[in-house]
Amino acid sequence: MRASFGRVWVVLAKEVVDNLRDRRSLLAALVYPMLGPVLMIGLLAIVGRTLDERGDRLLTLPMIGAERAPDLVAFLTNQGANIVDGPPDLVAAEAAVKAGDLDVVVVVPEGYRTLLAEGRPATVRLVLDASRTDSAVDIGRAARLLDGYSRQLGAQRLLARGVDPAVTEALAVERVDVATPQSQAARLLNLLPYFLIFSVFIGGMYLAIDATAGERERGSLEPLLINPVARWELVAGKLLATMLFTVLSVVETLVAFALLLRYVPLEESLGVRLSLAPSSFFVIFAIAAPMILLAVPLQFIVATFTRSFKEAQNYLSFLPLAPALPGMVLAFLPVKPSVATMLVPTFGQQILINRVLRGEFVDPWHVAISTGVTIGLGIVLLAIAVRLYARERILFGT
Amino acid sequence: MIEARNLHKRFGDVIALDGVSFRCEDGRITGLLGPNGAGKTTALRILCTVMHPDEGSATVDGFDTVRAPREVLSRIGALPDQRGLYPRLTARENIRYYGRLHGMRGLPLERAIERLIHLLDLEDAVDRRTEGFSQGQRTKVAIARALVHGPRTVLLDEPTNGLDVMSTRAMRHFVLRLKDDGCCVLFSSHVMQEVAALCDDVVLVGAGRVVASGTPDALRAQTGRPDLEDAFVAALGSAEGLE
Repeated sequence: MRASFGRVWVVLAKEVVDNLRDRRSLLAALVYPMLGPVLMIGLLAIVGRTLDERGDRLLTLPMIGAERAPDLVAFLTNQGANIVDGPPDLVAAEAAVKAGDLDVVVVVPEGYRTLLAEGRPATVRLVLDASRTDSAVDIGRAARLLDGYSRQLGAQRLLARGVDPAVTEALAVERVDVATPQSQAARLLNLLPYFLIFSVFIGGMYLAIDATAGERERGSLEPLLINPVARWELVAGKLLATMLFTVLSVVETLVAFALLLRYVPLEESLGVRLSLAPSSFFVIFAIAAPMILLAVPLQFIVATFTRSFKEAQNYLSFLPLAPALPGMVLAFLPVKPSVATMLVPTFGQQILINRVLRGEFVDPWHVAISTGVTIGLGIVLLAIAVRLYARERILFGT
Repeated sequence: MIEARNLHKRFGDVIALDGVSFRCEDGRITGLLGPNGAGKTTALRILCTVMHPDEGSATVDGFDTVRAPREVLSRIGALPDQRGLYPRLTARENIRYYGRLHGMRGLPLERAIERLIHLLDLEDAVDRRTEGFSQGQRTKVAIARALVHGPRTVLLDEPTNGLDVMSTRAMRHFVLRLKDDGCCVLFSSHVMQEVAALCDDVVLVGAGRVVASGTPDALRAQTGRPDLEDAFVAALGSAEGLE
C-alpha cells in the first residue's frame, strides 16, 4: 500500500510540475477564478447605485420655464429638490437627455398658469429616457414629486368646495417590506454559487485534458503505460493533481470574494453593509468541496472519449453550463431547500450556499444529503474513469 | 528471455496476428522483420502488456504478460511505436519521471540517468525542455527513460525510424552495447540491411504470420539464396514493403 501511494505521488508530482509550466493551466486555475468576483463587485456597484431609492441624496432637477410656476418650484424645493436652470428650450433638453448629460428635465410650457387658473389639467412635461436604468431613480423621484404637488393642489380644490379629499382615495395601499438590507444585497450575492460552479468546472480543466487527451495526442500515453504502475495508480495521481488545481481555484474565488467585500466600499452604492463572517466562507467551501469530487472524474471521462486536446477543450468548456444555469435562475428566484432538491448534485449545493449568503438557517441534514449524494456519484464516476484506463482501447481513443 | 506462443489478435475484421511464435535469447539481438502492417507493433504491444492476445500467450523471463504484467513491466524496457515526451519537462526530468515510476530515487537514480546521458551522448541537451528537440534527440530521450531502471530485456519498435545517418549509427552501437551487456534485445524493423547488420536471429513476419526464422545464415540456407535480400523476398513471396 505504501509503495502504491508512492507511485500515485510520483504521478501527482509530475502532473503538478508539468502543468505549473503551462500557461493555459495556470490561467484556468489562477486567473479565471478572479474574473467572477471582480465582475460581480462591478455589477453590485452599478446595480447598487440604481437601487438607491431612499432619497437621502439631493435631487438636482433642471427646469425649463420655472418662472411660470413659482408655487411648484417652492413645493419642489421644500421637498428637497435642487432646482436649476435647464437647457434653453425643449429641443436642447431632449438632446441633453438623449446624450445622457441630464437624467430628467422638467418643462413648464407656456399657458401653464392660464390652465391652472381655470382649474383645468395643466401640462408639465418630463423629458426622460426610459431605457437608461441609471436614470431610473431620478426619473422616479421627479415623477413622484410632481404627482405629490398635483395631489396637494387637487386636495386644496376639493376642500375649497367643501369635499373631503379622502373620498378620491378608494384604496389605501400600504407596503410592508420584510426584506432585510442583508437579504436585498444577497440577491446580488446569489451570483457567487454561479461563479463557484465555474471555478469547480474550469479550475482543473486544462490539467484534466493534458493528463488524458493531451497525453494520448502527444504519444506519451503508450510509453507511460509500459511502466510497472497499476492503471488505478496512474488515474489516481492524475485525478488528485486536477483536484488540487480545482481546489486552488475554488479557494481563490472565495478569497477574492471575501477581500472585495471587505475592501470595496459597497455601502456607499448599496447603502447596506454586506457582512459575511469569515467562518461563512469556510462553511461555503465545505458545502462546495464535494462538487470537486464529482466534476474532476466527469472531466476525465469526457476528455478520455475525445480524440484530441482541442476536441476535449470544446466539450469541457460547456460542461459547467448545465449546473450553472439553475444557479443563474436561483440568483433571481430563490428556491426553498428540500430533500428532493438536495438529491440533485450541484443544485443542492447552490441552494445551500445561497442560504448561507442570506444569513438563513442551513439544515445540517440537508448538507449531509447533498454531500452524500454528490460524493456517492463522484465515486461511481471515479470507478468509471479508472475502468476506462484499464481497457487496451485507451491507446487509440474511442 | 522472451517467448511468444501462437499469438492471435484481431481488430474488428482485421487480423493483425494469426498465430505468431518466436523466442528471443539473452545476450542476443533478435530482429522482428517485416513490411509495414505485418503485425510487428501488435506483437510488441502484447509483449509490453498494453494489449492482450485473443489466443496464445507470451512470457518474459517466465512471467506471463497477461497474468503478471507488473513483473513483466519491471523487467522490460521498451521503445514503443509512440514515443512522445513531455515538452514542458527537461530531458532529465522526463527520464527521472520513469525512474521514479520504477521505484528508483535519490543517488542511484541520478547515477543511472547520468550513465545513460553519457552513453547516448545527450549531455548538451539534457537540461533543456524537450520542446523543439530534433527527432534524434527525442528518440534518445525516449530510449534513456525506457532503460533507466536497467532492464535485462529490451524491446525497440523501429528505433531508427526518422533518424538521420549519424543517429542511426549511434543507435546501432547502442544496441550492440546492450547485447554485450548480456541483454535480450528484440527489435523490429522494416529495413532489411539494418536487421542483417545487427541481428543474431531473425524472425520474418508477413500478414500476421511468421514466414521464416533463424540466423541469417540459416535463412540463406533455408531459401537456397546466397544473398540475404533475395532470401527475404523468397520467404515473403513478394518484395512488397521491404527496402
